[in-house]
Amino acid sequence: MRTISVRAAMARGAGFLGFWLLLIGPNPADLVAGLCAAAAATWTSLRLLPPGDGRLRYAALARLALRFGQESIMGGADVARRALSVRLPLRPGFIVYPVRLPPGPACNTFGALTSVLPGTLPAGVDDHGALLYHCLDVEQPVAVQLAIDEGLLIRALGGTHDDT
Amino acid sequence: MSLVLDIFTIVAVSAGAFFFLAGTVGLLRFPDTLTRLHALTKADNLGLGLVVMGLLPQAEQPFAVIKLIAIWLFALLAGATVGQLMARAARRERPTP
Repeated sequence: MRTISVRAAMARGAGFLGFWLLLIGPNPADLVAGLCAAAAATWTSLRLLPPGDGRLRYAALARLALRFGQESIMGGADVARRALSVRLPLRPGFIVYPVRLPPGPACNTFGALTSVLPGTLPAGVDDHGALLYHCLDVEQPVAVQLAIDEGLLIRALGGTHDDT
Repeated sequence: MSLVLDIFTIVAVSAGAFFFLAGTVGLLRFPDTLTRLHALTKADNLGLGLVVMGLLPQAEQPFAVIKLIAIWLFALLAGATVGQLMARAARRERPTP
């Protein structure tokens, strides 16, 4: 267990340092700041997201990324259309989505992914652990789209896709 | 070839600017905090994506291309996270029906 977390820490630290070098540039004089930043980021990341044994499925992940791109475009176009329309066509309200993913990182990832869906914005959980979504138009088939996204994410994270 | 790339840049960056404008119009016109958050998160995400895509052909080294994409992904992640947190806070202020 101990060796796994050391290896995870090294891998994450190298990733964060690489990202820092990418943003700031490889100047030796700045490297001390980069090492400190990477160490702080690694510590935070290990605390917030301890290394698990989950394995990603890259094919499902690629499909999810493609769908995310399409949804970003549709979501942006949808909100732009509503904002610029003279009639301002909004039917705002909340819908409750009973999420199948366990609470924690997977569920948070789902929230972040679905925040780009056309007309939906995750706004916390209700008393029964279901996700609450604020919608620009409650008559859109929001729950159907969310279920498709959730199925893809479950498969990408290595779980089995049992229903839908 | 360079002309085609320049035209691509102009079209993509202009389209990006259009979505930023639409998001700002939404911010001003939409009736409450939650609907305004929709306008900002979605329109700006697409706007920034288009601006970054338009700038990619103008990057001089491959390093700059990766940097541009990293900045976009970073802004995307920050927007998705902060948008949710603000929506939660706004909902707590005005409980759901």
